[in-house]
Amino acid sequence: MTDTRLIHTVGTGALEWLHAHRAGFRLEEDVDPEVGFLERFKPVGELAVICKVLFREGVAGSRQTQLARQLLDHAWAHTLDGGRMLVHGQRLEPFSPVPFEVYLPFKELGYSHPGIEQTFRFNHRLESYAAHELSPVRRLGLSAFQRRFGLPPQPPESEVVGRTWLGRTPEPWTVEGHLAYDITHTVFHLTDWGEEPGGLPTPLADYLATWLPAWLDDWLDLRRWDLLGELLAVDACLPRPTLDERAWEGLAAAQQPDGAVPAVRTMPDDEDPDELFDLVYHPTLVAAFASTLATSRALTRLTHAPA
Amino acid sequence: MERSGTSTPLADAVQGLTLELVSALRSGGPFRLAGSVTGADGPDTTDGPGLAAVRVVGADAVLPSVLRRTSPDPDDLAVFSRAVHAYPPAENASPASVWSHWAMQRTLLRLGASFDGTSRHEAEPRATWLDDAPWQSLTHQLAVLAPLATPGADCAVARVARGRPVDVARGFVRAVRRRDWLQAAGAGRWLVLLDGVPETLGLLTGLEFVAQMGGDDPRVALQVEAARLMRAGVLV
Repeated sequence: MTDTRLIHTVGTGALEWLHAHRAGFRLEEDVDPEVGFLERFKPVGELAVICKVLFREGVAGSRQTQLARQLLDHAWAHTLDGGRMLVHGQRLEPFSPVPFEVYLPFKELGYSHPGIEQTFRFNHRLESYAAHELSPVRRLGLSAFQRRFGLPPQPPESEVVGRTWLGRTPEPWTVEGHLAYDITHTVFHLTDWGEEPGGLPTPLADYLATWLPAWLDDWLDLRRWDLLGELLAVDACLPRPTLDERAWEGLAAAQQPDGAVPAVRTMPDDEDPDELFDLVYHPTLVAAFASTLATSRALTRLTHAPA
Repeated sequence: MERSGTSTPLADAVQGLTLELVSALRSGGPFRLAGSVTGADGPDTTDGPGLAAVRVVGADAVLPSVLRRTSPDPDDLAVFSRAVHAYPPAENASPASVWSHWAMQRTLLRLGASFDGTSRHEAEPRATWLDDAPWQSLTHQLAVLAPLATPGADCAVARVARGRPVDVARGFVRAVRRRDWLQAAGAGRWLVLLDGVPETLGLLTGLEFVAQMGGDDPRVALQVEAARLMRAGVLV
């Protein structure tokens, strides 16, 4: 079994890096309209989701908890300007689901902006919103977020899951990179990011228990750390996580002394701090997420182990 | 199989023999091992590349007879027997090499080759090196030993495979992902014989895919054909 300390250390290092580079969570108001103002909201939303997991699992030390809280305060107060940037973004693209997706985890963590909630509620009454042609996994995520916000999920998650790639349990040897991300996100949405492992229907949990080891092996060999981190998080969402030793050791070895995790192979040699942040923040955030979940599962296993 | 500029007479002989086997398995038509070896070595040679190729191809050199449960022509059996006796495993041979030779001996006996009075079946080698092998190397070794995967064949290697169907299935996925068509085809051949292979693997379409992507290599085609025929036999 993998050393729990090793798993935990990956997360503490990642959080230190994210905190030290929190200025990278930034919006660009004069962005090229072709790119879109909402493009830079994604990292902020992901940060909130992961910090929520960190608070929830209760395996973070006091320093980690403090860093996470400061990161969230920074993202809410500075990056999102207390929610005003979400309002601004929603005015630029009134029917985009992105502001809603970014807002929800903040709301669950105690940050709120009542004005924008009214816009969300309006959008969710639109037929256009339900008809929006999203990929099934994205639709599943939106339905999950609607449920968590207290709105009726349209359509219900149980209707969407069968349309996702994972929901059809296809031939495991056809999985390529983009499909693998669809798989990981289907699991995250169904389990509320690891909170409810029971949310994963048994046939899907069995399917993943069977084939995840093959995918972990593959993406470890390819040194695709971002995807490997997500797959390790999926492992920790399963009823019986394997906490795959080789994969965790590989991810830990790829992590830099300052806590950054490269997305693929080795660290990019970009000297522009913003560009470096954009290349590295996601795998580092994913490492913090996977580490928190896996540490929690390892400790649970210890408490349930025979004396 | 792509011919490289460094092909050797042995490699050419292995390729030629394998192509003939694939053709025989696909068509159900006749296959003459003696003809293939004589073609490569000349009528009276006893240690040419043709005979060495039989040793390289191993027990699969008589696979059409094994799968059709027919007796090979005495000339073919004599050639096969000569290869078994000419190339015994070295003292320090790898377990895979020892097993491959053992498989040839067993096949020889099964096909009724006590005719020359010299066939003496060696005791079954041990498979302990596979017992604790991680699924990755287990699959690799099994693929190397694919000639042992024949209907009803019982041996220590087959027993290990039967005990670990999910591991071999994972190895098949890994081999396909790595574009290692030969390993995938060998693993697939084992999988058609095993119980407990997860349905979600999609083994049959997986084998078709392997043939589509790697079938230009006759070694891959041979394993896929063997798997297809064994599968058909199992279903009958």
